[in-house]
Amino acid sequence: MNEYKFILLVFLDAAILIGLLGYYIYKSSLNPEGDKSIKNPLRKRFFFLIMLSAVLLILLAITIPKSPYFLFADKPPSKLVFVDAKQFNFIMSYQAINPKNPSAGESIELPVDQPVEFRVTSLDVNHGFGIYNSRAELVTQTQAMPGYVNRLRWEFKEPGTYKILCLEYCGLGHPVMSSSFIVK
Amino acid sequence: MYKGILFFLIACLGFTDAISDPGAGYNLSEEKGLYAKIADVPLNTGSGNIRLPELYQQTPVMLAFIFTRCTGICNPFLLHLKDNLESLGSKEKFKVLVVSFDPADSLSDLNKLAYRFGLQDNDQWIFATTPQISKLVNSAGFYPVWDSSRQQFDHDALLVGIDKEGLITKKLIGLRDVKSLNWMIRSIHDEFMLSYPLPRENMLFSCFSYDPVTGKKSPSFGLLFLVLPAILTIMLLVWFAYQSPKWRLKSAQEIPPAKN
Amino acid sequence: MASLSLKKVSSAWIITILTLFICAIVFGILMRLNQGNDIKLSPNGFYTLMTTHGLTMIGIWTVAGMVGIQYLLSRYTTVSAKLNVFALVLTIIGVIMLWISTFVGNFHTGWTFLYPFPFYIAWAKWATPLFLWSLAVLGIGWFVWSVGILVEILKKYSLKQAFAWQHLSKKDPEVTTPPFILIATVSLVGIILCLITAVILLILFFAEYYSNGSFKNDPLLMKNLTYFFGHTLANEALYLGVALLYELLPEVSGRPKFKMTWYIALAWNFTMIFVLTAFFHHMYMDFVQPLGFQMVGQLASYFASIPAAAVSALSVIFLVYGNKIKWSLTNILFFIGVIGWMIGGIGAVIDATISNNIVLHNTLWVPAHFHTYNAMGNVLFCLAFFWWVANEFAGSQETTKSHKITIGLMLIGGFGFVLMFYIAGAASVPRRFAFYPNELQIGMTTATWAAFFATLYLIAMLAIIWEIVRKCIRVFYSS
Repeated sequence: MNEYKFILLVFLDAAILIGLLGYYIYKSSLNPEGDKSIKNPLRKRFFFLIMLSAVLLILLAITIPKSPYFLFADKPPSKLVFVDAKQFNFIMSYQAINPKNPSAGESIELPVDQPVEFRVTSLDVNHGFGIYNSRAELVTQTQAMPGYVNRLRWEFKEPGTYKILCLEYCGLGHPVMSSSFIVK
Repeated sequence: MYKGILFFLIACLGFTDAISDPGAGYNLSEEKGLYAKIADVPLNTGSGNIRLPELYQQTPVMLAFIFTRCTGICNPFLLHLKDNLESLGSKEKFKVLVVSFDPADSLSDLNKLAYRFGLQDNDQWIFATTPQISKLVNSAGFYPVWDSSRQQFDHDALLVGIDKEGLITKKLIGLRDVKSLNWMIRSIHDEFMLSYPLPRENMLFSCFSYDPVTGKKSPSFGLLFLVLPAILTIMLLVWFAYQSPKWRLKSAQEIPPAKN
Repeated sequence: MASLSLKKVSSAWIITILTLFICAIVFGILMRLNQGNDIKLSPNGFYTLMTTHGLTMIGIWTVAGMVGIQYLLSRYTTVSAKLNVFALVLTIIGVIMLWISTFVGNFHTGWTFLYPFPFYIAWAKWATPLFLWSLAVLGIGWFVWSVGILVEILKKYSLKQAFAWQHLSKKDPEVTTPPFILIATVSLVGIILCLITAVILLILFFAEYYSNGSFKNDPLLMKNLTYFFGHTLANEALYLGVALLYELLPEVSGRPKFKMTWYIALAWNFTMIFVLTAFFHHMYMDFVQPLGFQMVGQLASYFASIPAAAVSALSVIFLVYGNKIKWSLTNILFFIGVIGWMIGGIGAVIDATISNNIVLHNTLWVPAHFHTYNAMGNVLFCLAFFWWVANEFAGSQETTKSHKITIGLMLIGGFGFVLMFYIAGAASVPRRFAFYPNELQIGMTTATWAAFFATLYLIAMLAIIWEIVRKCIRVFYSS
């Protein structure tokens, strides 16, 4: 199971559980036999909140080190790609791009299983830089903000053609703003 | 899990270390040829002959190209670099390697140069010549041009940052400020900075300014705008706290009966 | 008690809000149909609808809470109907300006109007200033309104009592603060803060616009301000709805009122602080944002859910479980709203986790979670109040009518509609695409189904709204 399905399944399980719990509680209020109401609500509530906090803290501790900011930080990239986003295309080059005269270089080919670095900025409004694999799954992303360069490091595990889509709404051409590169 | 929590706490403290500033004089060609490997060349230094990899494998290296006959930028370049490094008070965490790209320069010419800058006994600074200078300058992307009418090289003041694996992590061109230098020091230690700002104009309120001494970002004027709403709201509430007793409904008729 | 003039202006508010609500739902359905390739809108048409839909929805469901707060506040203190009239007039002017800028001027930056997008003019030149001024008019109207409501609260309670601080130190203080007052105060303070932020943001926009570029803004600062204002406002709007729930749910269920306790006081005071830094989760993919802010973003997003959501949900569970409840449409809507809020909250926590956000950020997962706790949360809280107040106007809460079909349609329509967003979001379909590239076929399929489910939801809403509006109109003829 991939992470996309996993995320959806975790969510759906939780949502169904909450729905069933809601239904159960609703049912219990229709024809209660005897006094079934919850005793000691204060203590039970306190206990539940402590449990919930603990669960959240554990989740925090597990997920924070997996944040993208720390990925491949200590691995110098084998390829460097400069990306300047503008309405409505991506200019990509192995060489730094002159903002006064932006032009793309040769088409981009990246090595598989080696860290690469994208230096992403924008020449006009905010854009997104989302990398999709050949199964149209979002692999990784960063934002392209004018005036700043975001450095996205990644290691591509599968060879193939990767597509780039803009992931920050930028105007009428937003859905057609795309580009691609090859990993082999 | 303990490691995770620890990691998280450290990350929380790291409020400040995301980006630095390119500083004045940022040059687009500095971003050319990054992460390329510097050539393996022999170096003749005052303390003997070594190969470049032996140097950078011990500590990262800042490589400066000069020639001793230079009447142009070389001297101010070295002086500026020396002053900036002194003002940073940097400890022995990297070497500064000054290599002549002029085949006419001998080791003794370089030693004289070191003496002139008072750097002859400074362990951090290494002055060297190499028999394979064209291999070295090519791998660094440095292309001086001989101008025979002036009997001088036409060249940039290039400083190349090399990490312990011999990769070029950063370049600086021209006389650059402390900010830029600090940026280079961090990059040769393979410290990954997620982002950096581009030079821009007319911007009064940005969120962070860069402190060259500590190499950290500190909140600047623009960040005030993020805190200002909270400050204004608190001021409003404090004013309310003092004023509101006057507004209190006094008579019983004024207060509607509470409905239960 | 509510004066006749307060009843009248509340009616006018409710009718205005619900009319705009129906329009905005229709805009939404049109957008989904276009994404499903079932109808053909121009990109321009799509994005003006998107901009109008987002701003209208967030606006009306914020003011809906304020209308409810004002009305119920009349049980505790004197309430000025004139204040509501003032806010209503400015809101109507603001909305008209906004709609002209989008529908006539083609302004289409989305609700975020992220700097410097409004200055890259691809619409009528006058639309940019008109849009910014429309927000200024709305902001000023609502700012005066929320400060005014806070002043009304302070006529009865001191500031400390309004924050229920006396409950933190004493077990049985002389003056008890009803939970309704506490939550209203906390939310209003938050809203005032948001609106001040919006004013600062607008001033910075105007400074650049009217200086003809000699003054430039920092895109990073502007993005932070935008989400500080936008995210926090959406959050506080929901809490206004929760305040209505605390006041009305026990009453209409025939159960004792919620009592203020030290932990409810503590929970909401904490919420006021946590909610202010949760907005950082909008900027996880802006690597330029300092790392510490990102961490605080995840921490605050996780823990903002505990005091408000968990405490409130538990209160509702304890109120209902095993007790004979007199169910009516009012408390059914509140109850479903709590469930929708919880489910949306789970979606939000998943997205607020940075390591998930890298594959969820700006996919349809984002509209998925906020539509869950708006369409199936806050909207239902406010509708519950509207239903209740309309019956108050009509003079009787007793209705023999069963709303089983309406509720069934609303549940299937509402949850089906958001489920399509979740499925597409987990399948990496980006948000804010007017149409999808061929490889994202799942985006199209789910969009068509979403339009279908949203239509069911709309039908249910129309059935409820019709009865509310009918009863509200009658108030204008009474004296």
